[in-house]
Amino acid sequence: MASYMSMGEAHRRITEYLNRFADVVSYQDGTSLKHLLSLSSESSSFLALADALNLFQDANRLIRQADKYSQYAEIVAPLFRAMQSYRVGHLAESYQAFEKSANAFIQEFRNWESAWALEALYVVVYEIRVLAERADRELASNGKTPEKLKAAGSFLMKVFGVLAGKGPKRVGALYVTCQLFKVYFKLGTVHLCRSVIRSIETARIFDFEEFPVRDKVTYMYYTGRLEVLNENFSAADHKLSYALTHCDPQSEANIRMILKYLVPVKLSIGILPKRSLLEKYNLIEYNDIVLAMKRGDLRLLRQALEEHEDRFLRSGVYLVLEKLELQVYQRLVKKIYIIQKQKDPSKAHQIKLEVIVKALKWLEMEMDLDEVECIMSILIYKNLVKGYFAHKSKVAVLSKQDPFPKLNGKPINS
Amino acid sequence: MERWQPQHGRWGRGRGRGRGNHSSSSFARSNDSRPSTTSNYATTTSKTSSFGINDKQDNNDSESLPNLIGTCPFMCPVDERVQRERLRDLAIFERLEGNPTKSSSSLAVKKFCRTISTKDIRDVDMRPVPVLEDTLNYLLTIFKSRSHPFEVIHDFIFDRTRSIRQDLSMQSITSGDQSIRMFERIVEFHIVSHYKLRRNTTDSNVSPMHYLNLEQLTKALASLYHLYDENRKSNPSYANEAKFYSFFVLLHLGSDHQPTGESLSLWFRSLPYSIVKSKEMMFSRRLLRYFRFGNYKRFLHTTEAEASCLQYYIIEPYISEIRATGLSCLNYGGYKLHPYPLADLSKHLLLEESDVESFCKDCGLDTFTSDTGTKFMPTKQTSFCHPKGSRKYYPLVSERLKPFYDEAPYRI
Repeated sequence: MASYMSMGEAHRRITEYLNRFADVVSYQDGTSLKHLLSLSSESSSFLALADALNLFQDANRLIRQADKYSQYAEIVAPLFRAMQSYRVGHLAESYQAFEKSANAFIQEFRNWESAWALEALYVVVYEIRVLAERADRELASNGKTPEKLKAAGSFLMKVFGVLAGKGPKRVGALYVTCQLFKVYFKLGTVHLCRSVIRSIETARIFDFEEFPVRDKVTYMYYTGRLEVLNENFSAADHKLSYALTHCDPQSEANIRMILKYLVPVKLSIGILPKRSLLEKYNLIEYNDIVLAMKRGDLRLLRQALEEHEDRFLRSGVYLVLEKLELQVYQRLVKKIYIIQKQKDPSKAHQIKLEVIVKALKWLEMEMDLDEVECIMSILIYKNLVKGYFAHKSKVAVLSKQDPFPKLNGKPINS
Repeated sequence: MERWQPQHGRWGRGRGRGRGNHSSSSFARSNDSRPSTTSNYATTTSKTSSFGINDKQDNNDSESLPNLIGTCPFMCPVDERVQRERLRDLAIFERLEGNPTKSSSSLAVKKFCRTISTKDIRDVDMRPVPVLEDTLNYLLTIFKSRSHPFEVIHDFIFDRTRSIRQDLSMQSITSGDQSIRMFERIVEFHIVSHYKLRRNTTDSNVSPMHYLNLEQLTKALASLYHLYDENRKSNPSYANEAKFYSFFVLLHLGSDHQPTGESLSLWFRSLPYSIVKSKEMMFSRRLLRYFRFGNYKRFLHTTEAEASCLQYYIIEPYISEIRATGLSCLNYGGYKLHPYPLADLSKHLLLEESDVESFCKDCGLDTFTSDTGTKFMPTKQTSFCHPKGSRKYYPLVSERLKPFYDEAPYRI
């Protein structure tokens, strides 16, 4: 608490901040400016300042005292209020005030010709999102409607508009886009990503290669996730793989996040990860699924899906993993073929449907001949098995050449 | 108190004569310069506007007036009724003894109003919950009747239930079992109409009315889910909740039927676990899995054995689709020298034996009769095509589903 601070010291701290703020802006020192705008970092200087403000109570008078910093009143006054509210744990109020300050900041930012304040803008944008998230948590726990994050989304769209111009500031647009993605994903209003994606990808002012690598990785990660949600596997593979290759190799947490979505995508196109990879990045929920695909073990696939059902549903990959059933069937039939080949190579390519029924029975899956025929016909139709089935004799006849075509990184055609 | 004025053209063109047989909310246009919804139905924009800003009036988080509590004691506000009597804008159900200029408080029902500026709303124009409940009961009695062609009845109920939903959301009535129950019943109405409109339309293209109904069905469902969420703290589960969530999955069975433009995977993310594991949701999830896989056998048999009436109404269009896919696979992979017996097709696809031939024909496939009189479908035919446009549906061979198919009255 601020009990140890004297009024004099509080006064000193506040004026010190105001002077620093004004200096930093006039020297166009973006790096220093950003440190003056972060609340959530809860640095010791911020905490002390907030305490000073709460003690002094009349910071507005101080702001007006000198022209040097009174010109920034519209930014600083609400910023102070945000700090004060934050310090006493009133997060919804804090967000409200911070948004006001950020708005004034954007207006000034617009007028500054060069992009010197871009780093500071990033901090403001980040704070808007993080404060809004916390504010919503506070509102929800008090039984009120959480609406700050939604407001943050609207505000960030405004910021995006400010950066979407021809000058050097446009390089910051991708960062704002990524913050917007995070907001929309959290809110579940993922369809709102569409318009900002369209701007980035089709507007002529933007050249994707110009953006910082870090932002490109995040962008590809989120757009890749969108492709996963829409089950566009080729596009998802392309984007998530990009994110993976350009991601900082030291950043294990980020790699894990990318892999969480890339693994199901790769599985869908027939590419299995090594167990060592899954263990290194703690993605063991996929272990049994990979094993089921290697073994053709349908029962194991179903079990694995059930065991991690909640987790897979939350990340949105459940339906993708369910689809792997087709490949598991293919593998099962292939195994039967291999066993038959060992016994009698000349007859191996003829598989009695009742043998498949028996194999499934061992896996504790009840299926009659009709259903097996149905499944074989689908496997053949989708080119997972080359051959035909003879209805009258209840036999599947495989092609002598390459009866189980590999997917080769392409999704199963429908 | 200021004298209330209706906005210009609030309830349709008002040229009463001949217009009055059914309310046409799609014709009601005032300050709205957007083109009529009916002409929009083919474009993709209206699909994505389900959650967009275009239809703020229907969406639950549209502008609402938290302190407004309706005081209108009638199904229709008095001023509106008087106005519409004068303009001859009365639906056939609202006319007293068939008189196009006279209604009564027991016949008139408040119309849906698309553009309404919130500052003009008075509490006497809003119906409180008990009145809304009575109104809904009254409307659903009409729905059950067979006094008029179905499309006429549907159109009236469609518009008037939309107005009920509007009254509920504008008064921010988000709490209470009554509100939930009303939305549930309105959803049920839309599902029954979804089925009957398709069955009763003679032309092969899905009518605009059917599309608009589907649009409102998904909106009402979205509002209902919102209500369930809001009330979850005070009431962890409603008896029917799982059933109503299962409808959403079934509406999204086919890949090109995306009524909300939203991916199912995204939708699943926000569901409570208890819902996800409920009997009705497990049923619809299984159907989804079978459909996506192409497993016609399990899809059809599971539907036959377990689908409820309303679930069946939503599933039916997909039955033809999966049968056709199945036929396509059997035709493609079947041994050329083993033509497929139609009797077996009948068994797999749950078709009456007498319907199999026609169905094959609908799919562009030939059949033949052998010397012994048995009918077959040759395999490896190259002429297969999905029966688009031709909406002839051959009923599932099922004692249990027969009453649903025969449109036995469903009690909402």
